[in-house]
Amino acid sequence: MEEKGLDRAELIRYKRQLTIPGFGEEGQGKLKSSYVVIVGIGGLGCASATYLTAAGVGCISIVDFDTVELSDLNRQILYREGDIGKKKVVVAQRRLSKLNPAVEITPVFARITEENISSIIDGAQIVVDGLDNLSSRLVVNSACVRHNIPYIYGGVSRLRGMITTIIPGKTPCLACIYPEETQWGGGLGVLGVVPALIANLQALEAIKLIIGSPSLAGKLLSFNGDDMKFQVYEIRRNESCHICSSR
Amino acid sequence: MKAVIMPGFSELIIIINPTGEVTREGLLSIIMPWLYAPWPEAQQKGIIEVEVKGDTLRALLIKLQELYKQVNVDFEPINPMTNDLDFDYDVFVNGKNYVTLPHGLDAKLRDSDEVKVKMLWRWDG
Repeated sequence: MEEKGLDRAELIRYKRQLTIPGFGEEGQGKLKSSYVVIVGIGGLGCASATYLTAAGVGCISIVDFDTVELSDLNRQILYREGDIGKKKVVVAQRRLSKLNPAVEITPVFARITEENISSIIDGAQIVVDGLDNLSSRLVVNSACVRHNIPYIYGGVSRLRGMITTIIPGKTPCLACIYPEETQWGGGLGVLGVVPALIANLQALEAIKLIIGSPSLAGKLLSFNGDDMKFQVYEIRRNESCHICSSR
Repeated sequence: MKAVIMPGFSELIIIINPTGEVTREGLLSIIMPWLYAPWPEAQQKGIIEVEVKGDTLRALLIKLQELYKQVNVDFEPINPMTNDLDFDYDVFVNGKNYVTLPHGLDAKLRDSDEVKVKMLWRWDG
């Protein structure tokens, strides 16, 4: 992707991150030229979208089929009480554009299916996970492997969360671990700060991936808020994975 | 009791007091290598043998978490706050979820029983 230069306003806006060693104008230019798709704009997606927008990712698509409910407001920080009943992607697009008008935010009001996923992620440099169930994640995972697009998985429940970066053909994919939807995972409860924490790590990893140095490829970062413990473990590919083993 | 552990690709498979030789032959490649962590030689051997004091599922799980704790691997199936199975795990005995056993975690294990400890990922958002 062709790297874009920075204008004077951008040099001021991003001043605090331009001074980071290894980032600089070149890194900011890469962010400006990048296109990220965030699937799901709930607890995870609201936080990752906010920080990727603030950081200056050039184009972001946000995908969700849901409307705002009162019970979302403990964790979905882009929405207000006055937004209840409105489409999440529309509200999120408006709020994110106010945060950073230079970022092109595209709202996609759709439920992810096998049929539409390829067109949803078409052209994306990275797909960031903001979903709330395994079956949709497996659909996204499979499409990302097929189209060779890195996918940053993040998942939470209660006070715990996990994240890994899936690089098709190089690291394990979600189907390496869960070939089918065998684990029911929703409804255990979520404290809002936990998806925010995991999503911010996803956003950081996305930025690092765009710059060229992801940290969690082939590694599983696990956070346990019960005792405030972070662990990072190596994970390996399943040589018999029906999704990624032939790549 | 004696427990022979075979790391699967995302779970531990444990045979209690096996009557014959136990090997990993035919199992898929392991994707979570830290499951071998407390016993470095097990990576070559493929299986892990441990002696457990007691004969219940709980005794087995407590022994496992003691061993993993020694090498700083976060493997704690018995939640210390609830003294019950932690929600990061699922446990099966001979294919049946432990909650369906008459005494749950305190069910006695028998010779050749197969225990599976699955580590669960998080899927909410």
